[in-house]
This record gives sequence, C-alpha cells and structure tokens, in this order.
Amino acid sequence: MAEIGELLVSAVAAGSIYGLMALAYLLIIRPTGVINFALGEWAMLGAFAAVALGSDLLIPALHLPHVFSFVLVVVVIGLLAAMTEILTVRPLIEKGAPILSPVLALLGVLVISLQVGTLAGGTEALPTPPPFGFRRVEMGFLAGTPQAFYIIAVTCVVFAFAWFFFERTVWGKRFEAVAINRRAAALMGINLRAVGLLAFVGAGIVCGIVGVLAAGASGAFYQMGLPLAIQGFTALVIGGVGRVEGALLGGIILGVIEALAARYLPIPSSLVLGVPLILLILFLLVRPTGLLRSKEDMV
Amino acid sequence: MTVEPISGTTRRSFVAASIVTAMLAVGGTATAQDTIKIGVITDETGRAAFYAKPVTQGVELAAKEINAAGGVLGKKIELVIEDDSAKPDVSATKARKLVDAGVVAIISNSSSPATQQAQSVSLATKTPHITPANSGETLATKLDNPYFFQLGPLASTQIKTLMSYTRSKKFKRVAVVGDNSGLSKIIAGVFEKSLTANNIDVVVSQIIPIGSRTAVPQMQKVRAENPEAIFQAGIVGPQMAQFFQAYHQLGMKQPILASFNLSIPAYLKVAKDLMEGVAFIDAYDPAKERTKQFIELYKKEYGSVPFSLPGYGYDGLYFVVDALKRAGSVDKEKLRAAMASTKGWSNVMGARGATVNLSEKDRRGFDPEGAVVRLIQDNNHGPAVHSGTK
Amino acid sequence: MRNLFSWFAALVGLSAIAFAMSSYHLELYQKLLLVVILAIGFNFLFGICGQIAFSHVAFYGIGAYAVVILTFKLGWPLAAGIAGGIAISAALALLVAIPTTRLEGFYLALATLAFAQLFLVVVGAGGELTGEDEGISGYALPDFFGIPLTGAAYTPVIVFVLLVTLALILRLDRSYFGRSCRAIRDNPDAAQAMGVDVARTKIVVFVLTSTLAAVAGMSYAFVNNFISPPIFDLERIFELLFMIIIGGTGRHAGAIIGAVLLFSVQFAVEPFVGKFHTLIYGCVVLLVILFAPKGLMGVWDAMIAGRRNRDVGA
Repeated sequence: MAEIGELLVSAVAAGSIYGLMALAYLLIIRPTGVINFALGEWAMLGAFAAVALGSDLLIPALHLPHVFSFVLVVVVIGLLAAMTEILTVRPLIEKGAPILSPVLALLGVLVISLQVGTLAGGTEALPTPPPFGFRRVEMGFLAGTPQAFYIIAVTCVVFAFAWFFFERTVWGKRFEAVAINRRAAALMGINLRAVGLLAFVGAGIVCGIVGVLAAGASGAFYQMGLPLAIQGFTALVIGGVGRVEGALLGGIILGVIEALAARYLPIPSSLVLGVPLILLILFLLVRPTGLLRSKEDMV
Repeated sequence: MTVEPISGTTRRSFVAASIVTAMLAVGGTATAQDTIKIGVITDETGRAAFYAKPVTQGVELAAKEINAAGGVLGKKIELVIEDDSAKPDVSATKARKLVDAGVVAIISNSSSPATQQAQSVSLATKTPHITPANSGETLATKLDNPYFFQLGPLASTQIKTLMSYTRSKKFKRVAVVGDNSGLSKIIAGVFEKSLTANNIDVVVSQIIPIGSRTAVPQMQKVRAENPEAIFQAGIVGPQMAQFFQAYHQLGMKQPILASFNLSIPAYLKVAKDLMEGVAFIDAYDPAKERTKQFIELYKKEYGSVPFSLPGYGYDGLYFVVDALKRAGSVDKEKLRAAMASTKGWSNVMGARGATVNLSEKDRRGFDPEGAVVRLIQDNNHGPAVHSGTK
Repeated sequence: MRNLFSWFAALVGLSAIAFAMSSYHLELYQKLLLVVILAIGFNFLFGICGQIAFSHVAFYGIGAYAVVILTFKLGWPLAAGIAGGIAISAALALLVAIPTTRLEGFYLALATLAFAQLFLVVVGAGGELTGEDEGISGYALPDFFGIPLTGAAYTPVIVFVLLVTLALILRLDRSYFGRSCRAIRDNPDAAQAMGVDVARTKIVVFVLTSTLAAVAGMSYAFVNNFISPPIFDLERIFELLFMIIIGGTGRHAGAIIGAVLLFSVQFAVEPFVGKFHTLIYGCVVLLVILFAPKGLMGVWDAMIAGRRNRDVGA
C-alpha cells in the first residue's frame, strides 16, 4: 500500500518537528519549572537566520553551504536563548519571584521576537535550498521527500544525544537532580545557575535546529511561530513532561493522528483543524501527565 | 444588595482615565487646504501584510507620478496611510481616524473582512471608499453602501475565466484545494459554487491548515478521487509550497488552475521549480501598452519588475483621481457620484480592451471579461494565454 | 443614597464625554471602555484568584456571536437573545471550568488556550450561521424609544455594563468570596486546609468572569454592528494580560489604568513609531516584570509610602 508508506513518512516528519519543539519545552521545564512560550518564535527566527545564511535571499552576500549555516543558526539561537536566560529569567528566579513571573516575562520575549522577526524577515515565505534537493525517495514501502527523511534522521540524532545526556552524563544527572528537588540539589553543590543557563541554551539549540529544518521544508514565514508553539506543547502533554522519550513519542503520535484524521476522517476539511486541539484538551483532562511517566513517578 | 461605594483608588483611576480620554478628545487635526488628502488603510505586520504592502506601494508610486505632473484640481495629493494589522475592528477605527483627518476618499488594501468592517464607517460618514484588490464576493453587496466601490477581480469572475480557458477539455470531475485563511475559504467557496452550477462535479475539496507541516494527507485524499483538474484557491506561502511538494511527490499529473493569488511571484521562490505549467488568473497583462509603461516606471523607481499587486494599488489611486477630475471638486457627494458613473475607464490592470464600469446598482467595477490566464514557465510568470469568459 | 449617587454620576459623566468627541475619538473611547470591562474581569480571575486562563477573549467573542446569532439569525426578540447569550456563555464556561479545576497553573492555561482556538475553528466552519471568516454584519439594535442607539448615544449602554461589572467585582472582592480567592491564589493547599472549597470557588470565579466577558462581548457587537473571528484573536488575550501586568496585577485600579494606558498609548504613539508599537509594548512589559513587578500601582504605592515616611520622619 503505497499510500500508507507516503502518509507515514510525512506524518513522522511532521511529528519529528513537534517532538523537537516538545523537547525544547521539556529542557527548560524540567530543571526550572518555567514554560517558555517564546520557543515557537525562536524557531521562526532560526528559520529566517537559515534563509539569510544559507540562501541568496535576505542577505545575498551570505550564501553558505548547508552544514555551515546549520551550525551558525544553532549557535545564534543558542546565544539568543542564553541572553534571555541571563537577562530576564535568572534575575526573577534569584529574586524569588513567583514561578509565574518568568513565564510572563517570556511572553514579553515572545512578542519582541515575533515583531523583530516580522520586521527583519518580511512577510513573504522564504525558503532555503533543501540540502538533499527535492524528489520522491522510496525506501521499501516508505516514500517521501529527501527533506522529510532528513528531518527524521536529524531528530533521531538529537533525541539520541538528549537521551544520552540525561542518562549517561554528569550534567544530565544534575538536571534531573534539580528537577526533582531544587533546594536539595543546591545543597549538594549543584550550580543552579549553570543548569538554568544550560537548559535555556539547549532549548535554543533545538529551536534553531527546528528553524533550519523547517526553512528547508516549506520556508521561513513570519507567522510560523505560534502554530509550532502550540504543536510543541500538545506533543509535550501527550508524551509526558517527565521523560525525553515522551517528547518524541508525543510528537509522533500527534503527527500520525493529524495525518490519519486529515486523510481518513469523513468530516469536512475545515473541521479537521479541531483534531489536535481536541486531542490536547482530552489529554489535559484525562491524563495531564502524559503517556510516559517520569522516573520519580515510577519509583 | 447594597451598592459598594467606589474606593479611593478606583475613584483616582477614574479621574486618571478621564483625563487621558479628555486629552484624546481635545486633540484636533489641522487641515491643510492646499492638498487633497486620500486615506489608505493597509497592513504592515499582520496576516494580510504580504499582499497589502505591495498594493500600498503601488498607491505611493501613483501618488508620486501624479504629483510630479501637477496633482489634481490644482492641488497635490497627500496620502494618509494607516495600519490596521488586518484586524477588522481596528480597520473601522482607522477609517474613522482618516475621515476625521479630512480625507476625501479611503482606499482599503487590507484583508476583505477588514474592508467590510471599514465600510460601516464609510457608510456612516458618507465617505467614498474603494478597494483596488479585494476580491471578496459580497464586499459590495452585503452592506448596501452606496459609497463603496470594488475594483478587484471577483472570485466568480476568476472561476468563470478559468472555466472558459479549460472549456475545450470538458472537465467533468475536479478538485478544489485551498487553505483555511479567510480569503482562501471565500474563493474556494465561490469556485465550488460556480463549478457545480456549470455541471462540473467537485469530487473532493480540501483545506490545508495554516501551520501544517505537510499537505500529503490532503493531497492523498485528492489523488484518491482521481479528479481531472485541481483548482487552487490557497494563499498562505508555506501551505502553497507544501501543496506543490505533495502534488509532485505523490506523482500527480492533473492540470492545476489557480486563483489570482498565484499572480504574486513570491511563491516562485518557495515552490521553486514545482510550478511549471500551472495556469493562474491575473488581472495584469504585461503585454498591454499601458502596463508596459507602468513596468518601466516601477523599474525606474524600485529597481525590480512589478506584478499584479502594485498594479492594483496604482490603478486604485488613478481611479480616485480620475473621479475627482470628473467630479470637478473635492465634495464627497460629487466624488461618489462621479465614481458611481464611471464608464469605460481603464489603466494598468485588466486584459487588453477591458474597462472598469460602475453604476448605482452594481458597484463592482472589474470587467467580467477582464481577467487573463497566464502560465508559469521557467519559474516565471509567462505571458497571457487567454482572456475573458467566452 | 450617596453611594448610589456617585455611581449614577459616573454613568452620566462617562456617557456625556462621548457627545463632545469627534467620531474617531468616540470610536476609540467606546472600545476603550470595553477593554476596561474585560480588564477588570480578567484581573479578578487572574490577578486576584490566580487562575491563568487564556479564554477570556474567547468568551467575549462567544457573547458577541451568541446575541447576534440568536437575535438576527434565528429571529429571537432582543431580550431573549441577550438572556440566551448569557445562558450559553455560562453553560460553556461551566463546561470548561468543571474538568479544568483539577489542573494546575500552566495546564489550565493550555486548556483554555486550546478552547479559545477551538472557538475560532468552530466559528470558521459554521457556514451561514456564523458567517465564517467574513463575519456577520448588517444588523442593528432597535431604537430606544425613538432614539437610534448608534454613535455617542450607544455609550450609556457600554458605561452601564462597565459600572455593573465593576460594582459586582468590587462587591465580590470585599466579601468572604474575595478573600477565598486570594487565599487560593497565594496557597491553594492552605486555603483548602482552612475550609475553603477550592474547586467550587474556582468554578464560580471562572463562570462569573467569563459570563461578564460575554456580556461585554454583547455590548461590543453593536459598536460597529460587525463581528468576525480575527477580532477575537489570540493576540488579544496577550494584550489583556500585559495591561493587567503593567497596571498592577490584582489591583482593580491597576487593571483600569493598565487598560487605559496600553489602549490609548497605542494610538497616540503610532504616528511616531508606526509598526514598532507592538515591539515597544513587549519591551515595556518585560521591563515592568523585571523592575516593577507590582506594576504602576506598585510604583504609586511606593511613592505614597515614601511620602508618608518622609512626613513621619520630619
């Protein structure tokens, strides 16, 4: 059945993007408890940066090969995230402000990022050349664009790295410790500031990656941030905040359900929009902690 | 229930609020009588910005050219430009602001719903109001507003032109695809109605939601129905790119016939090499003499080649100015009457031989025979291959 | 009697100003009053009761659409349309509130955000009934004893809704209910331990403030006699949130001042900063959260306290 193969690839590619956004949220939420709504706009900025660096649009003089523009975008958004953490989130957390304050401050950052992106990037959809071109690629019964397979591959690498980071490295353990009990972690000598900064930089890097991948798929667009933000936390809610694998699982599930609904649900096309929203509401009501339980819950 | 007394702070805040609003109320506007003010409502950063900005650019170009030639009625034109971010309620507020600022007419370049709501103001204040590019089917009829004139090509005109272009193919089963933006849904709705009325069966109709990452499920649904042609009513960039990617990736071969949205060259960038042979509606024929002059003027001013959108804006201002000349005064009633009696006017937009005609009964000026069909060739907009609905 | 008199004086005063304004400023003024109504209600929900709900503007829209659809699409008499609208809004609010009371902080925000988006999807797919993206227009209120309720003459209606909303919120705030709400905001577990029915209080607050927002929406529907989905966009709830934050979260005066300031300044500075005004807003909000977290009211309080200290010291 060629159809299922095509549908699966595009659904998993979409789900990969959702999963990456969910991962970005998770990286910040776990150690700091802060939900950063500005992540969608950071991905948008990453996408425009990818266009500026990797194509002859926006900045014609800069037209770098994909690898270089990829790395540079990731560095730029990572720096943006670091700046945000140092200037807006850290002062609030250290002042002892209620957890809501950083969230609201990040809403301000959302608005600022959105406006800067729109004014700098313009209102057209701008692409960056997909590193592997465009055509129909078939792998067994699966079929999709090279970009779709590329997105899935990059996502696997990112999640593998994230899993390795949390499971096998000291810094990952520190993150977990801070997530479980902030005060105890501080008492044990863990540098809360460093963890916080690393959390944001990690999220920024992931958003930059999303931006590069999206720019090569359907272009950078000034209004792409909000849908990404919503898709991201929908995936997070479905998969569960507790584990990195949850973010990927949630993303894939969201992508697949969306695709199946759009393809097979016998309702008018304009109502299919409601499916992800209903899915989100259902999970929030029935199982807000998501499908995968975090380690501490399972103990 | 006893009514609580107003607290001290609340009373203070009322005072503060009253002072601020009083300041707003007092602010007057000095009217310079040596220019003719024409208001423009556009979108700079909202969801309609990608088509409103180029249209407004056309208006500005026309103003520059007209003023260089001495203006109209002995005075220079002064454009008063307001941004509504495609928010209909803000559009109405900006329309009021323009009227208070003393404009003789309003040009609405933002989204169709925004233009619709701005009409409540043009009607109430009896101000001539035009939209050069909006194609919303009921814009000129929903609110019985004798001050409003629509110059953009109606969706019904567009589909009729496409149908006449493909008449020889005798399509019986077609698909309509768009996105969920307001404009696209309106165009898709009109397309479906017209096709069905002409005994062409719309076997499948799909919407690609804004924010989607792929159009494969929707296009698979289209492919499964095996239509003979696909009518494209979409407008949002990324979704258009996804449509073309899915179309090719799924190995589809049906001819694609698109609305006037594809006359915006931006898609040629984001769906590069994927749009070969696509037919689209335009109101802009680069081979027309008057259009050639416009192209030269635009190239000199901006250093790039124009397309339909600046042309609409350019014509919009020229239309207002022509009506002013015929009215012989800046009196809003006379201007409105002159607009309503426009006959046989033509400028940059429209097929060769097409004219703008308005009347009290029908304030939609675009010539029903004035749309052209163009093909995309070599990642560029090719010449017009068909015009009108015959 | 004196209390009632000051409210009546406010009604007359706030309405009378309208007649002295040009049509542009009148339009701004009426929209400003409506934003203030939303801010007062939202401040109670978010600032005083600590519920982060992003559905306030959606209920504004539900009220507007309900009254217009019932009265002008289904032909009900206006009074029935208004009553029906209130009933529908309250019912929907209840439907949203009951399952979400169990949700903490951000989950409530997400659920209400999803609800707000769902509202837009439903309106966008509602066909002739909701007008979809073109909206509904061409309707109007019947004359009030021969006076057409348009323009400045409509202002008393909005002012009335504003004052009723304010009176209700003030009354609630000063009662046991208000104290319960604050307790829930500051420490839900302690509140529960002290005997506050946390779940029930949250539900009541949500339903009440959402219904008040819906009534404001009904008032909105007749300002321009036009409603369409982009008016009730997600951006609007962020703007509302910023107004509360800048004015002073949890303070009624803060909500009013924040709303007046952010709304008016937007139009006042536009000639100078043009399309950058939203960017400036974002920066201001950020600065306020970082350096003046109690908002303008906090700054005001500090100034007064400072003056008092100086007086005492001398």
